Formats: sequence, C-alpha cells, structure tokens
Amino acid sequence: MKSRRRRGDKQAAASCQPDAHPPAPHSPASLLPSGTARRSSQKKHSICMVSDFFYPNMGGVESHIYQLSQCLLERGHKVVIATHAYGDRRGVRYLTNGLKVYYLPLQVMYNQSTATSCFHSLPLLRCVFVREHITVVHAHSSFSAMAHDALFHAKTMGLNTVFTDHSLFGFADLSSVLTNKLLTVTLCDTNHIVCVSYTSKENTVLRAALNPDIVSVIPNAVDPTDFTPDPGSRDDSKITIVVVSRLVYRKGIDLLGGIIPELCAKHPDLCFLIGGEGPKRIVLEEVREKYQLHDRVRLLGALDHKDVRDVLVQGHIFLNTSLTEAFCMAIVEGACCGLQVVSTRVGGIPEVLPDELVTLCEPTVSSLCAGLESVISRQRSGSVPPPAAIHHQVQNLYTWRNIAERTEKVYDQACQQPVLTLPARLQRLRSHCGAVAGSIFSFMAVINFLFLLFLQWLHPVHLMDAAIDASGPDSCWRKSFKKGKSKDPHPD
Amino acid sequence: MAEEGPFTDISGKPISLECQNYTPFCREFTVSSPKVSLLKVMGYTCSVWLLAYAVFFLTENTTVLSSAIMVTLVGMILHIHFVKVDQETLLIIGSLGIQLSSLYASGRESTTFIEMSKIKDIVINEAIYMQSIIYYLCILIKDPSEPDGVASVVPLFQSSKPRLNCLVRVYKSCQEIIAQSR
Repeated sequence: MKSRRRRGDKQAAASCQPDAHPPAPHSPASLLPSGTARRSSQKKHSICMVSDFFYPNMGGVESHIYQLSQCLLERGHKVVIATHAYGDRRGVRYLTNGLKVYYLPLQVMYNQSTATSCFHSLPLLRCVFVREHITVVHAHSSFSAMAHDALFHAKTMGLNTVFTDHSLFGFADLSSVLTNKLLTVTLCDTNHIVCVSYTSKENTVLRAALNPDIVSVIPNAVDPTDFTPDPGSRDDSKITIVVVSRLVYRKGIDLLGGIIPELCAKHPDLCFLIGGEGPKRIVLEEVREKYQLHDRVRLLGALDHKDVRDVLVQGHIFLNTSLTEAFCMAIVEGACCGLQVVSTRVGGIPEVLPDELVTLCEPTVSSLCAGLESVISRQRSGSVPPPAAIHHQVQNLYTWRNIAERTEKVYDQACQQPVLTLPARLQRLRSHCGAVAGSIFSFMAVINFLFLLFLQWLHPVHLMDAAIDASGPDSCWRKSFKKGKSKDPHPD
Repeated sequence: MAEEGPFTDISGKPISLECQNYTPFCREFTVSSPKVSLLKVMGYTCSVWLLAYAVFFLTENTTVLSSAIMVTLVGMILHIHFVKVDQETLLIIGSLGIQLSSLYASGRESTTFIEMSKIKDIVINEAIYMQSIIYYLCILIKDPSEPDGVASVVPLFQSSKPRLNCLVRVYKSCQEIIAQSR
C-alpha cells in the first residue's frame, strides 16, 4: 500500500516534467539532497517476471530469470514468476529463498510457447497481479506469447512494464516480419526495454521503431564459481577443441562440419568434443563417417547444465560458430573455465570479451580455420596465458549481483514514468504501428479493457485474498526462519 | 463457545463458522453455507418450463412438457442430494484423529475418518481454481514407505470454500491440538 502511494507521488512529479526519463546531470533531480536520492533507491518493488520459458525447461532465458530473481530477492525486493504449466508441474511452487512461481494452466502451442489470443490469460494474470500487489511487470523473451500477453494486460491494468529481449531477429523473412510487427505493438507503450548487448539494442530499436532512450543494455552473467578451470582434467598430449551448443542451424553447425575434416587432416593430434543435441547432429555424424574420425570427434549428446563445466575443462580451445547471437553466454563460460576462445564475429559477440581473450573470425570455414590454426600454434608454443589467469580476468566481468543492481535502476526509472491512459494508449498504437495493425490492436485494447471491467464486476478485488508474502519487505518467511520455527504454511 | 465472524466464501456469499471446544484435545468446526434459495429454484424451474413451452409451441408434442417436468424434478432431487452442501464439519480429537462430515441439503450425510497416525500435518495451500487462485486448507497424509513423504492431500471445506481469514482461524486451533498430541 505504502509503496503504491509513493509511486503515485512520483508519477505526479514525473508528469510535471516534460521529459521524465533519465535525469540529466544538470536536472533538478541531481540537486536534491543525497538523502532523497538514497530513499528512492531503497524503494522496494513488487516484481512479477513473466515468460513462457522457465524451469524445468532449460536454457539461457530460464537461468537468466532465475538468477536475476534470486539477486533481486537478496536486495530486498519481492519477486514472483509466472509461467505456463509444464506437464505435471502446475499450480503454485516455491523455490529457494521464497521465490514463488505460478505455473498457470495455459495451453502450449508451439515450442513451449503458449497460444496467444490476447484475452484468455487475463483472468489468471490479473489474479496474480492483484493478489501479489505487483507494481512492475517484467516480461522476458520476444518468442514468448505469454510475455506479450502479460505486457498487454499489465498496461490495461495500469501497471508499469519492463521488457527484456534476449534474441536477435532478421527483417526479411515472413516470420520475422510478423514477429517484428507484434513486437512494435507490444513495445510502443512499454515503459522500459532491456537488451542484452548494444547490437541487440540496435536490432530491437530498428525492429520495433522505438525511441532509443528508453532502451537499456544489461548483459547476461555467469556464476564464476560454477565455471572454474581445472588444467589437470585435460589431456596435454593432444589439443582438444570443445564445442557446446544446441546443434541447430543458428549455431552454425554446418560451418563446424566444414572445419572438422580440414583441421583434422592438418593436425593429427587434434580432437573435437561436441556437447549438445539438435536437428543438425546428422551433419556432424555424416562428417565423422565420411572421414573416419570416430576416435577424434566425440559427440556427447544433450548436456545438463551442471555437466557443462566438466566438459569445458577437458579442452584447450573453445569454439563458437554461431551465425547470430545477441549475447553469447557460451564464450564467457568457456573463457571462465580458462579456455582459449575462438568465435565468429556476429551480432553482439565482439562486445562480450576483451580482445586478448577471444579470437574473432568471419563466419566462413576458411576464416575460422585460420583463426583456429593461429590459436593452435600459440597453444603449441606455450605462449597462451595459464587457465587460472584467464579465469581471474573473466570472473569479475559479468556477475549477477551487478546485473541485479542495474536492473533495479531500470525498475526505479520505469516506476517514475506514467502509465498511459486508455485514450493515450490508443493514440500511441495508431500513430506507431501503422494504420491496419494500429487499428486492430486499438480495438483489441478496448476489448481487453471492457473484459477487465467485466472481470472486476464478476470477481471484485475485495474478494481476492492478498497473498502472504514469501519474499520482499514484508516477508513472513524470513521472520519465521529467524525465530527458528518452521511455520511454513505452504509445503511443496 | 460459538464464534460468529463476518466470514464469506470466495465468491462473497456469507458463511458462518462455528467453533466448539469440548475438551482441550477435542474441537469441532462447522462451516455453514446459506440454504437453497427459493428464488433461485423458481428461476431455474421457470426457465426450463418456458423453454419447454416454446418447444411445445413449435412441435405440438406433449411429451416435451412431461419430460420438462421430469427434468426439473430429477434435477432438483439430484442437486440437493449430491451437490448442495449445507454444512461441513471438521471434528479433531487429538489422540484419535480427524472426522470430516458434510451435510447435504436433502439431509444426507457423508462422513470420513482419518486416523491421527496417518496424518502428517494440516496446512493452508494455494491452488488455481477455475479462473482464480485461492487458498484452501488441507490434510497431508503420511506416506507409509517414506517417513518424510506425503502420500496424498485431503482438501477440507471443499464445497463452502471459505476465505483466508476463516481458514487461518481453523488452522491455528488445529495446530494447537496437533502440537499437544505429539
């Protein structure tokens, strides 16, 4: 309640200023006494992370949401996660530190993404937002229909919205054109957008025709304690190249299929260790058959996240052949394990690591071979830094605590911005999204608003029990843990 | 001791919670929902009959009318006998176990008894019910093969669905008794 009132004050203050977003150095905001500034940064948010992708599904977005939520909990915010039901896992679950996850029973359509009708998820999401007293809705991944839906509903309900985009897109093919249109519609009235690299920001700004000022760049992070080097577990009599990625077209597995025979012919002591699974596995198997490389190319199949490190430390060189990548976590993990990294120069990859830690090549077989050869010769001559030194250099580059701190600032800023009223929203939709899409989605927004009014009549807010906070400032878990009394009312 | 609080169920209808202390180890909680309203019965009957008359007007077949009368009668009997619950009672005896009974509008009563040795705990849990998320009280049944496992969950007050403030009161006094009997 308190935080809401404060937010109201802020909104009023923000709407007085014509450009309310980032306070410039000379703006009156910076002249305020430091006490005021500190209080605003201490303001605790109630955040709802929404995405189709969450554990038990595995991947980059899932671990990003989990790690970010844990660090935000540590900073005293209240975080709940909403995702769709995964098979048997439905209902309300609690994870470490009272992180509450709602597995809502929504129909999955394609690739773990829910069907979108813009309306059917409103009753349940409204219930979550209301009973948890959510102030900021943070949606993840543009592939997730539920994230788009949640942003749409949150704006109808007058909540502040933040969106994180995790992937790069093209502009040419039909599916990109449609997704880009949907993204334009979703993002035109979102308060703040987060991208994982500058390349990704550029891409998103162009795709969704956004004002670049409301787009922030916050990279992903790795947990350096999970990826420690272990030079003892690798075989120094030969040179091992490790590849860990899903075996799909986007990851450039066809390039890898071209590199393997060429390098194996030149260097008899070279081995490949390939972890991951996917439709392009057949390409690698063909190469292995054709050139009789069964003893030198090992395909490990799908890896659990906990096994990735044990695979990485067996190698000397980490190879990434991605054709498109917003922010490559894999090369940071590889470098963190003390490996020499060779990667393609695509998307946001050049921003990720300092030049001395990575060898960048063009995404062609010849360029990648040349890059690998130079690293192999350096490895042979022993002029590469020891793994421990590389680990030491990388471990503080990307940490989740730092990411959470920066995300918190985004929330502070998003909360200062006013949420558009329905008429303003309709105007924004029509002026930003073109005549046809704008009109269709304005119509949808009106219907959604009417549906919300209907739900408010059918199931009024005063009949919903407020959820007991498991995290955040009023957490009842932390109190009961301190007392040493296991008064946990929610098992499971 | 009878307590009457301003309790409602999750859809806002008033319900009453009665709490009786027989001994410190034996308590009875009764949640009563409002009786079947005559107006609602009349409304449903009228709508079925009007529909039947409309069909009769078109087809001029008298079996439509007689079947409509049968449908309303049978429907009403089934409703009060199997659906509409007037009272749900939870009787907890510290040394013995928990008895759950529900009294249907027709007077039928169904009772189940759970031994204390089978009960692991009583907790308030959250569930997604229809298009909303609600709190409910449930008994956790011990798994005989695993000492820490839960074999099944028995939800309480399933038809009256009280709100959290009512559940918390029942939960607290049940916990007192369970703590004493251990």
